Amino acid sequence: MAKNNYIISLENIDTTYQGDKIPVINNINLKIEYGEFVSIIGSNGAGKTTLLETINGLLTYSKGLGLIFNKEIMENKYEIRKKIGYVIQNFDIDSNAPFLCKDVVMSGKTGKIGSFRFYSKEDWDNIWYSMSLVGMIDFANRPIGKLSGGEFQKILISRALAQKPDLLLLDEPLSNLDFSSRKQIEKLLNRLNKKDHITILMVSHDLSFIPSGCKRIIVMHKGKIISDGNKNEIINSKFIENFFKNEMK
Amino acid sequence: MIELQISLLITSIIGAILAGYVCSTIGVFVVRMNLSSIGFCMSHAAFAGAAFGLMLSIDPLVSSLIFSFFTAVILGPITEKAKLESNVIIGFLFSIMIALAFIFINLIPGQAASGVSLRILWGSIFSVGYNDILMLIFLSSILTIFILIFYKELMAIMFNRKLAESSGINTKLFYFAVLFLTAFAVSLSIRIVGGLLVFALIINPTSTAYQFFYDFKKIIIFSPLIGIISCSIGFLISLYTDFPIGASIVIISAIFFALAIFFSPKRKKIK
Repeated sequence: MAKNNYIISLENIDTTYQGDKIPVINNINLKIEYGEFVSIIGSNGAGKTTLLETINGLLTYSKGLGLIFNKEIMENKYEIRKKIGYVIQNFDIDSNAPFLCKDVVMSGKTGKIGSFRFYSKEDWDNIWYSMSLVGMIDFANRPIGKLSGGEFQKILISRALAQKPDLLLLDEPLSNLDFSSRKQIEKLLNRLNKKDHITILMVSHDLSFIPSGCKRIIVMHKGKIISDGNKNEIINSKFIENFFKNEMK
Repeated sequence: MIELQISLLITSIIGAILAGYVCSTIGVFVVRMNLSSIGFCMSHAAFAGAAFGLMLSIDPLVSSLIFSFFTAVILGPITEKAKLESNVIIGFLFSIMIALAFIFINLIPGQAASGVSLRILWGSIFSVGYNDILMLIFLSSILTIFILIFYKELMAIMFNRKLAESSGINTKLFYFAVLFLTAFAVSLSIRIVGGLLVFALIINPTSTAYQFFYDFKKIIIFSPLIGIISCSIGFLISLYTDFPIGASIVIISAIFFALAIFFSPKRKKIK
């Protein structure tokens, strides 16, 4: 397999859900370089989440070739996932769930630490640091089910950061946050990308939620990439204006 | 009070305590991983398996283990093939297992058939043998070691299976490990608690512990403790009243659950 400089390299990828015949994402060609900050936008059902789940191997692609860190996804899924921090689209958590915030954040590191090893002091230091990055250090011993939607979202982001990832896959990470929290997380993402050189691929359904550090936008529609390019060019283009107008109709 | 030899009494109480430990420990994972319906189906498959073993005069432990685990394994593919909700298939399998159990019980040879049938239906303090105790000790040790070694993986999976999988944990492996340990726990406990009630011993103590704690570590400690206490009190009630032991244990664990709901600090209103 030839080496390339892309952290994500997808060629003619189709992903079909088990039992279905029509692929949810269709003929996806996408190359993302190390250190890029890319946002995917598109309406509901465009295939954004399916694309993220194909990239980290949670869904198996049915056609094409997918390489992450220059390794084929499905054959190396457990290895590559240890270098990917994933923030899932907000899910409902039972208010009586028996988990403390610090345990949830720590669970992000579990795969990386590996089996037959207990948490070290260094691991815990890393957890406190990840929690402090999102301003949630005071919530360490709080039950996870007692948090507000925004606080919960911050814990999920902290969980992904605890993994010390090379690649962050974020599925609408800003959607439940209030204005100040959103600005705080946007600033954090910009910093992680610029200073720590973490590659970020972020899904958003709202153009106004795209952080300033993001320079490239991918537009998805009905399982296909219909536009891919510079953020400012895409946002200011007639194409996107017409696209969202048509969507609203 | 039933008059028992001291050695039989000791064997029986140890059996009840160990059954309480294994069922209520595995219950923590069964409840949190939303496997309650599967576990319910598995416990009745184990019941059918035990009847099948007695019918063919083979070790009922082996046959109940095979029936129970096989049921859990085929559930996924059948659901997928039939394109129905898993709960529909669980209901379907559950009724088949109960039907099979009654047919097998009917076919158990010999005069002792009725006594044996009642034992696997309701459980009995007389049915615990030395080998059962050894097997229960073996399973208790495996379960304890499994939790100690894989605590962090288990906790990550309990929180969210998809997130755990996305961070590099092979969740399928743990899922099947939990199913297998559940099948093992159910098959071993069936003679003490009975095929119709063994699942209550998996669910009740864990559900009771969940009423009190937000910390997963505490649930793992207190659920088995509640299971052991329920089994010990149930055993004594059965000993003094001649009530079936399974029913006594389940009633006690249900009382604990009812009290837990009533006194749960999670339900106290903030003044």
